[in-house]
Amino acid sequence: MRSYLLGTLDRDLKTQFEERILTEPSVYQELLIDEEDLIDQYVRGELSAFEQEQFESHFLITAERQKNLRFGKLLQEYVNFHIEESPVPVHSFSFLHKPVRRWASLGLVAAIFSAAGIIIVRGFVNRREAACVVQQTPSRVMTVTLAPGSAGTQGSTAQRVNLPPYGVDVTLELELRNSTFRNYKSELFRENKSLKISDALRIEAKGEQRVVPFTVTGEILSPGDYQVKLSGVLDSGADEFIDNYSFRVIE
Amino acid sequence: MNKNWSLSQEAFDALLDWLDSDRELAGIKYEQIRSRLVKIFTGRGCIDPEELADETINRVTSKLTEIQQEFTGDRARYFFGVANKVHLEYLRRKTPQPQSAPTDSVRAELEYHCLERCIARLSEEDRVLLLKDYGAKGQTQAERRKALADELGISLNALRIRVYRIRTALKECIEKCIQDSL
Repeated sequence: MRSYLLGTLDRDLKTQFEERILTEPSVYQELLIDEEDLIDQYVRGELSAFEQEQFESHFLITAERQKNLRFGKLLQEYVNFHIEESPVPVHSFSFLHKPVRRWASLGLVAAIFSAAGIIIVRGFVNRREAACVVQQTPSRVMTVTLAPGSAGTQGSTAQRVNLPPYGVDVTLELELRNSTFRNYKSELFRENKSLKISDALRIEAKGEQRVVPFTVTGEILSPGDYQVKLSGVLDSGADEFIDNYSFRVIE
Repeated sequence: MNKNWSLSQEAFDALLDWLDSDRELAGIKYEQIRSRLVKIFTGRGCIDPEELADETINRVTSKLTEIQQEFTGDRARYFFGVANKVHLEYLRRKTPQPQSAPTDSVRAELEYHCLERCIARLSEEDRVLLLKDYGAKGQTQAERRKALADELGISLNALRIRVYRIRTALKECIEKCIQDSL
């Protein structure tokens, strides 16, 4: 179904599948749900570079799907904001209303926070000698501020970042010179291979500096050189390149 | 098909009769066929799938007298054959289409405002489910969904359908909110 949506399904299979869309209600229903899921994966930068290309060139062909993409981005923006502002109240889930499981769950949450605390403290000690501005926040996220510039993508001029401990995410704060987009898109590369794309990013003020925070999971980083491409997202959904950023992950 | 042919009420009634003798069921079948044709034309990369779906339906309707005598079997399949012809003709006459108009910032703000309003109208359970489905950072959609389905004690498919329904309701609410505000 994913191949069908991205326009990569073999012609004969496509014809067979289209007949099923018309005659089997469950196939049609599944297609609608898969469309939504695909949009969310695109918005969250979970598609591969090839899938992303197909998504933009084939999937987004109709106004209806473009509208659905706008909705997906809007929703993600809302969720990002509200998750950061106030974590989702776990008590709202019915399973937590059962007394025994509730206490067990609370214990588990406490254990996770304790473990995260140990990891963060260890990570903080290990990173004291870091060569760049690295700030450890208490929420299992390590923040790294990157200045723009396409030069120095390799070698000694690349900004250095310590390898994050297991379970710690890295927020790359991409400094901006002048930019007035509503949404931004970032793509992380290593040796020209795309590792992660994030869409619907918003600009934030950091003192007098303006940055676009781009969070990646620590697990995808290993020692080596990385590049980040930052683009502004036009209202039409198209991208406009802004700048490149580079950093080197060290042990 | 005669290019001047247009769908009259009489012709439309005849189409509904052909789809099902029960008028209510016929109406449902008509809507189902149309929406699925739209999806098929969309899947083929057509810029205006709705127009092509309507053209397909019009062609079937205009030939209904002949079809009724000759065709037996699933009626939806007949539409598929006609849709293929309509698509071929579309490919021959296809011209580059302009990009869709960009969304202006005022509308974007309005959309966000409406989203906030509509999310506030969701039940607490649905709102939390939606936030959880989208929220966890550092997890892929599949990982998030699996964890959430386990947490709720429901199947992955049941969760997907539930989230889809919440989203659909939310989109309808936002559309209405925007229309009311313009």
